[in-house]
Amino acid sequence: MSASTSIVADFSLAPEGAKKIAWVAQHAPVLNAAFERKLCDGSLRGVNVAVCVPLEAKTAYLTLLLKRAGANVALAGTAPGYVQDDVAAAIAQEGVIVFANASASAEEFEEHLIGTIRTDPALLVDDRGELTRILHTKETARLPKVWGATEQTTSGVTKLKNMERDGILRYPIIAGNDAMCKHLFDNRYGTGQSTFTAILALTNMYLGGRIVVVAGYGWCGKGLARRAAGLQSRVVVCEVDPVRALEAVADGFAVMPLAVAAERGDFFVTSTGTHAVFRREHFERMKDGAVLANAGGLDTEIDVPALAAMATDVREVRRQITEYRLPDGRRLHLLAGGKLVNIAGGDGHPVEIMDLSFTVQALAIHYLARHHGDLPPGVHPLPPDIDREIAAIKLETLGVAIDSLTDDQVEMRLRWQ
Amino acid sequence: MSDSTIRDGSLAPEGERKIQWVAQHAHTLDSFAAERLSDGALRGRRIAIAVHLEAKTAYLAWLFQEAGAQVVATGSNPFSTQDDVCAALVRRGVTVHAIHGADPKTFDEHLLAALDFGPDLIVDDGAELVTRLHQQRRDLLPRVRGASEETTSGVLRLRAMEAEGALEIPVIVANEARCKHMFDNRYGTGQSALTAILSATNLLLAGKTVVVGGYGWVGQGLALYCRGFGGRVIVVEVDPIRGLEAAANGFEVATMADAAPIGDVFVTGTGSIGVLRAEHFERMKDGALLANAGNYAHEIDVAALAAMAVEERDVRRHVTEYVLADGRRIHLLAQGALVNIAASDGHPIEIMDLSFSVQMLSIHHLARHAQEMAPGVHSLPADVDEAIARRRLELLGMRLEEPTRDQLEYARSWR
Repeated sequence: MSASTSIVADFSLAPEGAKKIAWVAQHAPVLNAAFERKLCDGSLRGVNVAVCVPLEAKTAYLTLLLKRAGANVALAGTAPGYVQDDVAAAIAQEGVIVFANASASAEEFEEHLIGTIRTDPALLVDDRGELTRILHTKETARLPKVWGATEQTTSGVTKLKNMERDGILRYPIIAGNDAMCKHLFDNRYGTGQSTFTAILALTNMYLGGRIVVVAGYGWCGKGLARRAAGLQSRVVVCEVDPVRALEAVADGFAVMPLAVAAERGDFFVTSTGTHAVFRREHFERMKDGAVLANAGGLDTEIDVPALAAMATDVREVRRQITEYRLPDGRRLHLLAGGKLVNIAGGDGHPVEIMDLSFTVQALAIHYLARHHGDLPPGVHPLPPDIDREIAAIKLETLGVAIDSLTDDQVEMRLRWQ
Repeated sequence: MSDSTIRDGSLAPEGERKIQWVAQHAHTLDSFAAERLSDGALRGRRIAIAVHLEAKTAYLAWLFQEAGAQVVATGSNPFSTQDDVCAALVRRGVTVHAIHGADPKTFDEHLLAALDFGPDLIVDDGAELVTRLHQQRRDLLPRVRGASEETTSGVLRLRAMEAEGALEIPVIVANEARCKHMFDNRYGTGQSALTAILSATNLLLAGKTVVVGGYGWVGQGLALYCRGFGGRVIVVEVDPIRGLEAAANGFEVATMADAAPIGDVFVTGTGSIGVLRAEHFERMKDGALLANAGNYAHEIDVAALAAMAVEERDVRRHVTEYVLADGRRIHLLAQGALVNIAASDGHPIEIMDLSFSVQMLSIHHLARHAQEMAPGVHSLPADVDEAIARRRLELLGMRLEEPTRDQLEYARSWR
């Protein structure tokens, strides 16, 4: 349990990482309240917990609180591009076992995930179902030791539900993503704000009057479209689901097929949870200078290999901006190599958003610890009373009071005549 | 080249990359350089530029050089100077006197060195060169044909000089061109100050109370963009008409004393001093964030804040925490300097493409017509201003409606 068992890039980076974690601690009132009121009740004492979430300061703070609640915590990032080495060093020095290095190769990264599983976790905080994948494929002998897991992302929940459908899933999973205090805020407003802040910081470009094409109008897409409009751009939404497309129309956005939008857009942002949303047939039609960014659940939403195959010249023209020059001279600009732009090109979601999301995760882990053995294998929702409790704590920390129903109103709701 | 004073010539490749990125997005400037600067009016002219010395400014300097001028560039604020861009500019043949973080005395020497270059045309920011020319380098005054001025605050200084009869050259106040302040001051500041604050803090704006000090062009942009990101905006104004305009735009209007205890984020853009001061710091909430989006660093009384604090430390890059005696923490961004420039890359490129088109055509106008212009403050001719907007719209692929003959006639009639 000492720092020496951790694998990080450079321990000397710890002071800068510690500063970042302290900043988070100052802006995480909900997590702090949940820690004091619930996490510390002894349910997590001595329990092994593995965490696999983009490894920056907010994640580090969550693991720190789990550790302070008595758990033994092991931590990995979700991909090499989603690791901040200074934070990894700082959290390792706090006694969390860390397997993470921003410059790890794909193989080394896989080894890090396996190393995390070899700490024999009973509880998992997972992102995109990565730890569950390792457990069900490469480390099956350790499956019986797992009490349950929570899942952070939409795409991870989809994957886990597929596993449940096929009868493969061996332990209960709480779909943290599906809690209202998670997706209503994190997916929508967190993604919306942090994606555009990152795009504009990376490019130094102006959005006013430009056409922003948002692919996907789920929770992330709704936030992206709204914030793009707030930046005075003209928003075009592309969807495959007719109800969501109709919702986008009602919200005042232009809706059209991507094949048409490809010719008009100045900025393209994808958040669909599926593969190759922007692909060859679109690259062929895009304007010179079009900017491409991914804000979705998968790193493959932009078909980067196809883009590279089409290009006659590929070079980095600014930090995190790759220029692909096509045979006809058009230049397409890919941000953050097609990875999540807000994480790879910025500090990820705002602190207060992750304060909510990680409170969902922390209380889901706490719930699994207390009810271990009660839940069958499969994907479960966070109990709604916990969801409401989190929102109530957040409102309390904001100093916002709300109303309650009168006795008459309560009674009326119970009547049927 | 050897006459330049810069940090390190070996930084040139990174600076060159930044300038090339700007070149890809400066279509308006390119089109006017090709169309108008090719007339030879700038050939052999000596031009001094004192503007925030990063890639966009460098590109303007280079276009002047391409048009046949000899150019010297210096910064208008030592903290906005980017050393790699300076190195690249020197490699492109422009003389540069600027070093990031220079102390006030060195900064002053750089400005004077730019004057000693012997310019006949000046692109100024905050009237830094023009005021020094009139006080410390009067011997060089006779050869200066004119200047253009970039900022609202610089224009205030120039008008004060003019009122005292002290301004001896014609100055075109580029800032007052509509293609400058309506876009640069308003939308450029709005977008870039907002994104700089959020990048520097990693905090959420949605649901926060944002107090905007001033509702001039800068304040209007700040309020608009903060609302666009879910902030609840309160505007603080001293001018009743601007205050009323803010109210009509759907913002709450209040005094700073009343806003101080309820704001989460405070942003100033007034052109004045001490907008946020001790009496306000005393009433602010724990964790209040302070940022300045106005031209001068004294909009926030940092000295008063430091005097009140029992502890002062850097808690994140560009964020200084002041712990007050009662334990409240106040977070100051970029030391109170212009937040979008000090903590980020400044205005968006396409905005500066417009602003610098104004500057470029002002300098071009001065090169051709300065002799016919009296000393004093002048406007950019309205037809030049409109030509810039027309060109930008064309480049965006948008077309304007042409008035019919009837409509033109109606507009001229009075009966």
